[in-house]
Amino acid sequence: MNKYGLIGLGVVLVIIGFAVKDQSWTRPEMFAGLELDLGKTITNIGVFLVFIPVITMYFYVPLKEAMDARNNELETTFTDVEQLRTQMQTMKSDYESRLSATEAEARTQIQSQIKEAQALRQQLVSEATERADTMIRQAQLEIDQEKAHAIATIRTHVVDLSLAAAEKVIGENMDSAKNRRLVEEYIDALEVAS
Amino acid sequence: MDSFLHANLPLAEAAKSEGIGWNIFVYSGLTFAIVFGFVALARKGLKGRVYTSLPTRLAEHLFLFLEGMTVNVIGPQGRKFVPFLLALWSFIFVGNLMGLLLPETPTADWSLNIAMAVITVVYVQWEGIKANGLVGHIKHFAGPKLGGAMVVISGLIFVVEIISELMKLVSLSLRLYGNIHGGHLVRESLDTLIAGIPLGGLLLPLKFFTCIIQAFVWTILTCTYLAIATAHGHDDEHEGDHGGHGHEPELAHA
Repeated sequence: MNKYGLIGLGVVLVIIGFAVKDQSWTRPEMFAGLELDLGKTITNIGVFLVFIPVITMYFYVPLKEAMDARNNELETTFTDVEQLRTQMQTMKSDYESRLSATEAEARTQIQSQIKEAQALRQQLVSEATERADTMIRQAQLEIDQEKAHAIATIRTHVVDLSLAAAEKVIGENMDSAKNRRLVEEYIDALEVAS
Repeated sequence: MDSFLHANLPLAEAAKSEGIGWNIFVYSGLTFAIVFGFVALARKGLKGRVYTSLPTRLAEHLFLFLEGMTVNVIGPQGRKFVPFLLALWSFIFVGNLMGLLLPETPTADWSLNIAMAVITVVYVQWEGIKANGLVGHIKHFAGPKLGGAMVVISGLIFVVEIISELMKLVSLSLRLYGNIHGGHLVRESLDTLIAGIPLGGLLLPLKFFTCIIQAFVWTILTCTYLAIATAHGHDDEHEGDHGGHGHEPELAHA
């Protein structure tokens, strides 16, 4: 029986209850102390048969629908939030992996630059050392040349002085026997050398 | 003792002689008006996403309370009984509450209570027939299937169960009637103990508690009856899944 049938039956029972309310059988002596009135009972059954479907239609159904709608909305919201959270997690993982890759690349580049700098330093040091060695060798050569030149110059001066001294000696003491002998030996040595 | 009661219970005596009579429909009509007034206020607050109005929030809590109780006692399939329980609970509770403020209470009339009990028991039987079929529902009154001479025992069980079902009408209605009517009598007796001092007012917290408890007791007993009446059909439906639970009602949720 649907709700409208119940309401109809309830109305009929209400009418019947009121119709029989003054009849003696509705108040059995057995329950006199409890004031049982079957007319009231029948009427009340009818009233409840109306009340229950009406309150169900008027209140329960809208309340249930509203609560279900709210629950569905909340579930949708939670689902959206969960999806957004998943997306955020994915993006976070993506960013973290990209950050890690960037850091690794940066480290590689830094290492590469350090290696290049070290090679350049090594090259510069080698070039500087080589240039220094060249300069030292050239200086040494120049020193040797200057030394040889100085020695030659000194020797020239010495010869000249020796010759001048010899000329003086020879000019003033040509008569001594010893000088005479020295000049003669020197001349002899020059002759042997030549 | 008898003279003491006569001297101190004038309203009770008046009730005994005349009773509330057909004036009950004034009080029950007022009860329906209060229920529908509350429901109308509650409906207004259903528009929003968050229920801010007090009636709507109370209605929501009442619904969740009854739904939780039904699911605990009957199981998830018991949600379909919530509208019936909601109607019963709201009428009994509001009817009981009226006794705190007004001289009479609809639920203190056995004629009305027995009408609610008839509705309840018939509804339970109707749901039992829907769940198990007419034959299955009648058969379950005979208890477990017994063979041979034990069929006599089944017959006895059947008779006892039918009497038990009929007694539910009396137990449900008399319990409510006794508690509410007795509460009235006690309050009125206390009011007349000392002239001019309504000592019965001291019972209001206790009576308020009784209002809630009696509405709760009626609805939870209805849940239990529904669980017993509809459990067999539910068991049969899932017997293959669970290996069968025999014919015990599924009260494990309770």
